[in-house]
Amino acid sequence: MSQLRITGGVVYDPANGVDGEVRDICIDNGTIVSTVPGTATVIDARGMVVMPGGVDIHSHVASSSVNLARRLLPEEHLAAPVAAPDLVDGIPRSGTGGTVPTTFTTGYRYAGLGYTTVFDAAVAPISARLSHAEFDATPIVDGGFFVLLGNDEYLLRLIDAGERDEARDYAAWIIAATGGYAIKIVNPGGVELWKRNGRGRTGIDTPIGSSRVTPRAILETLVDAGNALRLPHAAHIHCNDLGAAGNVATTIASMQAVDGRRAHFTHLQFHAYATTPEGGWRSGGRELIEYVNAHPAITGDVGQVMFGPATTLTADGPVEYLLAQSSGRKWVNVDIELETGCGIVPYTYQENAAVAALQWAVGLELFLLSADPWRVVLSTDHPNGGSFMAYPELIRLLMDRTYRDEQLKRVNRKLLAGSALLDGISREYTLNEIAIVTRAGPARILGLTSKGHLGTGADADVTVYASDPDVSRMFATPRYVVKGGALVVDEGHLRRAPAGRRLHVRPGYDAQVERGLREFFDRYSTVAFDNYPVGPLRDAPCPPAGGR
Amino acid sequence: MSRSGGPQIPQLDRIVEHATCLGCGCACDDIRVRVNGDLILETTSTCALGATWFGDGRVPTAIRIGSRSGALDEALTATVSLLRSAREPLIYLAPELSCEAQREATGLADRVHGVLDTISSATVLPSILAAQERGRTTATLGEIRQRADAIVFWGVDPRTRYPRFASRYAPDAAGLHIEGRSGRHVMAIDIGPARGPEDADSRVPVNAVDEVDFLGVLTAHIRRPGTSIAQTLDRLAAPLAARLATAQYIALIADGEPATADAATGRGDPQRAAALIALAHALNGSTRCALITLRGGGNRSGAEAVLTAETGFPTGVMFSRGYPVYRPHDAIRTTDRLLVVGDAAQMPTEILNRFAPDARAIIGPRASLHAAVAAIDTGVAGVHVNGTALRMDDVPLRLRPSLPFGLDPAEVLRALRSRVAP
Repeated sequence: MSQLRITGGVVYDPANGVDGEVRDICIDNGTIVSTVPGTATVIDARGMVVMPGGVDIHSHVASSSVNLARRLLPEEHLAAPVAAPDLVDGIPRSGTGGTVPTTFTTGYRYAGLGYTTVFDAAVAPISARLSHAEFDATPIVDGGFFVLLGNDEYLLRLIDAGERDEARDYAAWIIAATGGYAIKIVNPGGVELWKRNGRGRTGIDTPIGSSRVTPRAILETLVDAGNALRLPHAAHIHCNDLGAAGNVATTIASMQAVDGRRAHFTHLQFHAYATTPEGGWRSGGRELIEYVNAHPAITGDVGQVMFGPATTLTADGPVEYLLAQSSGRKWVNVDIELETGCGIVPYTYQENAAVAALQWAVGLELFLLSADPWRVVLSTDHPNGGSFMAYPELIRLLMDRTYRDEQLKRVNRKLLAGSALLDGISREYTLNEIAIVTRAGPARILGLTSKGHLGTGADADVTVYASDPDVSRMFATPRYVVKGGALVVDEGHLRRAPAGRRLHVRPGYDAQVERGLREFFDRYSTVAFDNYPVGPLRDAPCPPAGGR
Repeated sequence: MSRSGGPQIPQLDRIVEHATCLGCGCACDDIRVRVNGDLILETTSTCALGATWFGDGRVPTAIRIGSRSGALDEALTATVSLLRSAREPLIYLAPELSCEAQREATGLADRVHGVLDTISSATVLPSILAAQERGRTTATLGEIRQRADAIVFWGVDPRTRYPRFASRYAPDAAGLHIEGRSGRHVMAIDIGPARGPEDADSRVPVNAVDEVDFLGVLTAHIRRPGTSIAQTLDRLAAPLAARLATAQYIALIADGEPATADAATGRGDPQRAAALIALAHALNGSTRCALITLRGGGNRSGAEAVLTAETGFPTGVMFSRGYPVYRPHDAIRTTDRLLVVGDAAQMPTEILNRFAPDARAIIGPRASLHAAVAAIDTGVAGVHVNGTALRMDDVPLRLRPSLPFGLDPAEVLRALRSRVAP
């Protein structure tokens, strides 16, 4: 099926200024074109909603940490078997679901929601081979990953030595060596302190073994590196102090540290808690989103908490230590040599639990008070705040005030005093705004020029939803999904599962950086320098920001 | 690995640098291999175990259908017939496979609604199950090298079965934050005859029968210093707990593997595995601790990772109902035909011999040494076959085959799968 015409649908293509207009979408050989001959296959989308394929900017689907989480959850998987789909071509695979589904099931499920591009937000460089292997086994979606650098020992040494240019070249080298897409910073310096048996909170100016190495210096170095290297996506930042009451001050201080520079702050919800005068929890959502609204260089994703089972899984090892202590749930910690950490704790967000309800409310406040949907986009930090399978429910919360208010009545309001949500927010997202926060916005923030829109030349990733007054049902069950020109979901059924493409970049760098690096590897690494790079990938690298 | 005929032309030696050895779970990737033609002449940096694993690189290259030689095509046909005749086939992952081959085998088991089991069910199941129940605090081996100032060898001396562990990881290797051996305190906990390293800085003898009890008492002393439980054990546990409390970063190292696959077949002590995890958890209350479980060679961890990614379970998976079900204790009980993938000589003979030769097929290194409906000799991952393998700590490593000739099990399995279900 190389030529397709999706005809008569109501199109939402915000990147091209199309807001609910009846248009035909034409596809030839995997690309959107202006027209196709009459011989093209026709999909009758009359009365339906047409959008670009969804783009998930922050998820955890393909990494050594994700696989450790899968391994930790046999009871979830036993309760969630998934038979192989009935495909018309390709080899169908069975799997298991739960909060951390198996690889094939993950690809099928994302496509089944109309999502066609997914980024894993946290990959330890040393384990990059595993991420590529897992993406190879995650069909349909195009995928890439962000490379963890905020606690990298070699980088910290360069910062300590004042070698910021070399730090930039090192970042470029490691992204190229791992086949990654962007720089990821998790709790800058804080994971290193945890490895040193530090238990306290890491503030923006906490020394990490040296007064010259602080979270602030790490943020500045890596944000500048990402921009100097013209990476399509800015440094992707998980701030210090995740999940702690009062952390909104740290978050805003982190934003100020890179003021005016292109930077992406992730799962804002987990970093938006203020304190009461007595030191208790309260929402810092309004304070944080007002700062973001006023600073156009900042982008973010929300990391909404959804009630129900989740699995918290992060490179932020010390946070998981605290969560394991407070929840008593089973706990995985892996200190990853010279680079980063990993912590995993299964968790359930209960609507009658005060802190979970606060987290839920803070996320919604961020969405509903955001002035620019292009800059604050949708995520649940899957599977941390909840599964990506909860996106349709989240969309309903954003689009339907009545429904939202009903849900608000059910939750524990103990910590919601002063919350904007409790005060009443009438805003309801439009379909156009949903199209922005779920595809056009993430694609733009990621620098994916051929995704998130339906203009001529774009990748033919298209989702067609049957209109339904229940928007959660509508977004959960697309009628058609086209990925790279292939009709993967037909009449609501998954029918094809082609391999996805790998999204990665190959920034240039001064090869001199390899000299010192090789010495460092020879001295301390347990993997040979020559064995470290993952080698050539099947797909060509993506162009740098601003084009070639 | 095929030995070509024709005129003998002298060949120059070739050197393969940074080859990865899968002789044990250390997976050292600094091996230099000197090769001439299809023979390994010399390996540098290997331990004795590694040198044996590489050998001279020669492995059989036969394809057998029953007792006669045949072509690959015939052997695949015979294997397909075997699988089709099964009520419930067992696909068994033995060692010496790349992750890529393990992935193909998983896809095949899914396709034929078979049972997929691995050697891990017979060897390290107690550790796997305990970690699924409680979690696990650990580290990659390089991390203990960089910073562990206290190394506790719990009833194991790695010298015999993991010979380069000490020099590559700890205690001998120098780390970024610590000198080598002189910067670390090495403790040997001798569990009956299972002794820690002879050159340990201190040692604690524990009766084998008391091991689990002692782990519990020690954990209690870590959690509540000064506690009193059982006088004889308290006497040993209290000073050890006090010493551990002064460390910055502890590597608690225990052996996860029995001496041979036949020595265990799943009968390890689940309480011991759980108690070790509990001790490591407790130590992380006041200091840092990584529990390191030593693992054997041939990419065993790789099989667990591949199965987990694609089925949600690390070993012992039944696809009989059309989806994965976890049955690590008895997945193989109802199976009636066997396809071994990997080196059958390294799997428990009890499992291999459950199946008569006319009820089993083998695809893997040295397959033709075993009687079977079909036996397809392949190369060994890392010696002849390309791809990826996992170190015992799940760090993935590139394989650099020094003799890149012969059959890759991944390709054989791909061909088999396309015949089973076009």
